[in-house]
Amino acid sequence: MATIEHKGKSYEVDEDGFLLKGADEWDENWVDYVKGVEGIAEITDEHQKVIDALQEYYKKNGIAPMVRILSKTTGFPLKRIYELFPSGPGKGACKMAGLPKPTGCV
Amino acid sequence: MGYDPKNPMEGRISDLGPRYYGDFLPPVIKENKGKWLYHEILEPGVLVHVSETGAKVFTVRCGSPRLVSVNYVRDICDIADKHCDGFVRFTTRNNIEFMVDAFEKVAPLKETIKSYGNKFPIGGTGAGVTNVVHTQGWIHCHTPATDASGPVKAVMDDLFEYFGSMTLPAQVRIALACCLNMCGAVHASDIAILGVHRKPPMIDHARITGVCELPLAIASCPLGAVKPAKAIVNGEEIKSVQINAERCMFCGNCYTMCPALPMADAEGDGIAILVGGKVSNARSAPKFSKLVVPFLPNTTPRWPETVECVRQILVAYEKDAKKYERLGEWAERISWEKFFEKTGLPFTEKSIDDYRLAYDTWRTSTQFKYTSHTAAYTNK
Repeated sequence: MATIEHKGKSYEVDEDGFLLKGADEWDENWVDYVKGVEGIAEITDEHQKVIDALQEYYKKNGIAPMVRILSKTTGFPLKRIYELFPSGPGKGACKMAGLPKPTGCV
Repeated sequence: MGYDPKNPMEGRISDLGPRYYGDFLPPVIKENKGKWLYHEILEPGVLVHVSETGAKVFTVRCGSPRLVSVNYVRDICDIADKHCDGFVRFTTRNNIEFMVDAFEKVAPLKETIKSYGNKFPIGGTGAGVTNVVHTQGWIHCHTPATDASGPVKAVMDDLFEYFGSMTLPAQVRIALACCLNMCGAVHASDIAILGVHRKPPMIDHARITGVCELPLAIASCPLGAVKPAKAIVNGEEIKSVQINAERCMFCGNCYTMCPALPMADAEGDGIAILVGGKVSNARSAPKFSKLVVPFLPNTTPRWPETVECVRQILVAYEKDAKKYERLGEWAERISWEKFFEKTGLPFTEKSIDDYRLAYDTWRTSTQFKYTSHTAAYTNK
């Protein structure tokens, strides 16, 4: 497995760039790193709201929220989520929030 | 402008959908769309459609391995350029169809196709065995219990005579899926080849926390065999799962959801054969295929056991079924106990349904026929 260095900190990631250790290694510096790879210019309050919603839901339930639940809790329609995270809620937002890589037939 | 990784959304085009199919129709198809009167199969692999305007279109169907290189596609394009004004199509079973608008053009087209040797075998029409709908296998997928391209090549090599002929009672659809996700047509095919596991998953406690959403793995199990559990990793207690091996039927759903539950196993994995499915509504309603052979080993590279078993079923059906009768209709008419007797397949308890709605699949009647299989019980 690969290791990513960003601003003096190293993270263990899989081949798609998801954190392998999840919340244990996640920090603001990781958000800053993913921002670059995902083509996001600046982390706004809206980005932060999505990340917080994902992390809170994951902590409580042990799974990432369904897209409809994410839309409902943040108040952002899917279209807006894609504007914030061009790769989408799975590959973009979950990666940035340090959640496990989405599985199944995707 | 080339793609700029710094500005991924710059000049990005999206949501265009596929090209309109009408843009690629040969002129004779475009002009006669919705006006076709009747069609005939002139010979195996060659069809003619006649329009009310009197126009005709001749179609030559060729087999393809589905998984092809760009060079192979270019060869197809060369043939299409030479004979069909650059038009060509693929069928829903991944055969290739070249179309020409006059009978005189058929012979030269066939000659060109044949000049490629067996690259583009002509056939796949009428009551024969056409292409095998299949999946990724060991070429590309991470959940397979068998390969796809390999067994398909082996089976079609053996049944090749049936691809270029129309001598069966009805068309026989063979499909393959390399695990019981059943991507494709396995659940509703005359003969289905299916990859199966025979061992429960291994649990990688060290990785599970980071890569797996545990509730998803638990909910993915059709038998409730996956339970949340604590495990010790490096002296530390972590959340993990526990699998009740007695309850596990090796479907592999939990591995699909959770990468820390791998279950592929060289000796455990293999192939099951299902038969008797169909999707058409002709004469009888669509049917699901049923399990008749629970396990055949993965014998690479030619899968001789699978090849032999498929032929055994096909030959018994060819000999015994009535005209127009699909394999499933034949088996239901003669009864499944006769099906097992005529094909010579051993009946095992694995064929007896034991999942939720199983009761309806058992026999609630005294109507049955004495066969070699019932003899095994009555002579005791």
